[in-house]
Amino acid sequence: MPEIRTLSEGVFEIIKDKKQLATRNLDPGRTVYGEKLIPVEGVEYRAWDPRRSKLGAMVLKKFDIPLKSSSKVLYLGAASGTTVSHVSDLVSEGAVYAVEFSARSMRDLIGLAARRKNIHPILADAGKPDSYAHLVEPVDVIFQDVAQPNQAEIAARNAARFLKKDGYLMLAIKARSIDTVANPKQVFKEEVKKLEQAFEPEFEILTARDLAPYHEDHLGVLAKLKNKTHLE
Amino acid sequence: MKLNAWFGILEIGEDGKVLSADLLSKDVRELAQRSLTLRESRQDPPPAGFDLRAAALGCGFIEFPAEYDSLLHEVALEAVKIQVSASLTPDQRIIQAVEALDDINETANSLSERLSEWYGGYFPESGLGGEALAFFVAKYGSRENVGPDNPLYAKALDSMGANLEAEDEALLRGFAESVCSLYERRRQIETYIESSMERIAPNLNLVAGPMLGARLISIAGSLEKLALFPSSTIQVIGASKALFKHLRSRAPSPKHGVIFSHPLINTAPWWLRGKIARALAAKLSLAARLDLYSGKKDPALAEKLEEKVRQIRASNSRPPQKKPESGAKPGAKKKRRK
Repeated sequence: MPEIRTLSEGVFEIIKDKKQLATRNLDPGRTVYGEKLIPVEGVEYRAWDPRRSKLGAMVLKKFDIPLKSSSKVLYLGAASGTTVSHVSDLVSEGAVYAVEFSARSMRDLIGLAARRKNIHPILADAGKPDSYAHLVEPVDVIFQDVAQPNQAEIAARNAARFLKKDGYLMLAIKARSIDTVANPKQVFKEEVKKLEQAFEPEFEILTARDLAPYHEDHLGVLAKLKNKTHLE
Repeated sequence: MKLNAWFGILEIGEDGKVLSADLLSKDVRELAQRSLTLRESRQDPPPAGFDLRAAALGCGFIEFPAEYDSLLHEVALEAVKIQVSASLTPDQRIIQAVEALDDINETANSLSERLSEWYGGYFPESGLGGEALAFFVAKYGSRENVGPDNPLYAKALDSMGANLEAEDEALLRGFAESVCSLYERRRQIETYIESSMERIAPNLNLVAGPMLGARLISIAGSLEKLALFPSSTIQVIGASKALFKHLRSRAPSPKHGVIFSHPLINTAPWWLRGKIARALAAKLSLAARLDLYSGKKDPALAEKLEEKVRQIRASNSRPPQKKPESGAKPGAKKKRRK
């Protein structure tokens, strides 16, 4: 009989032959990207591959994941929906606003969103939050994985508009998309500093860890708004 | 203050309370269209932190909280469907065609090699390869079927190849027919690219030729992206490995990427290629911009390029002296043009 451990709300570790990260499948019987389905005591779980998902890697890197079943999430850089599907599992009573700029990726994401009622897909540039402000309500968590050189600025702009006062920002910084040549450690340091000071609102970094060995040259960051008066 | 929400136009007071609301009907298609218009115009977006859900409930657009999610879900999904189906622009079709062409080339080459290897056992003297061999095998099968009017008749008569049995012959013929049809498909795609390039990017077509032009659009991702590139980027498109090696270490910078296939560059002597590549890239970027923003063909572009290349050739008629450490002996630089 497999043993199940809860890592955080909705995130499980199933120990069968080896340890396996998983979420409870919101769309039973269906896989999204070829992941394994694991039934345990009448409940179906979906295996979550930390090598294909930065959020999955952050879980294994012992980040405090601030997602609850009722959370509202703004997901920037949704791509084809690999990670979005697990976030959708996690916030079963909430909503995921999935923003993606590439029409090709959106084609895959549409298939996913059509089956999961808590995903609201948005084809727009994450750097222009004004263009989807008429759709998105204030959220508890912003998750950002956009691999853009100005990602700190993108995070700040979206947080200014959509993040609740006590909300969290989670982001994955890819060193190679900021500067292909520089030393990743140096890039991380500068990006974290940008988050803390360069833009309005400023962030307070709670956790920042390298996502190796799951992702090369990626830094995972968990932050919240610096204690100033912000959204009411 | 007036604001645009996805479900209507709201008037809110200083304290953020909704004073009045002009609500839309719950027609998913109409709401999606409106959402797309708002995305473009970005007019009167709600202020930071405005709670759309509470407002929708407060002004009576929806009756219960769960309805907000289900309706918004439908609207968002409908809007992205409209966007995705509009995203298949003519330049995207060219990109698909170029990539299909690359796949066909690769497949046709490896299947041709297989055929030549396979059929070589039965008629090694044929001296044919590629499409000619595929055509020959599909037509005749065994070399015994070659008639006296065929130039290979004599060779077929006293070939040392093995005897081709009926079962193997049928197999080989079918295989060769598949190879032939691949070559046929390749010509069809090439014709398609040529005609659509003339329609969609006439200037790029003029300066670069249809294949190179289509390849540049394909690597850039779209005609718009190509037009936004500086010409120095266009010059090294397709040489990213060499470029990053150059940026990371002390490797020399690449002079040309895919534009090397342009006859002006690959027929030029080595010491002119970098200069011509620069001139060509400059005109290519102008051509892409003309195509994107005006769409009118400007024959002067190609003439100016030719003039520029003539100048380059005239003022650099002999190769530069190689530096001593590169190993060239002083008397051995006989690489002069003509």
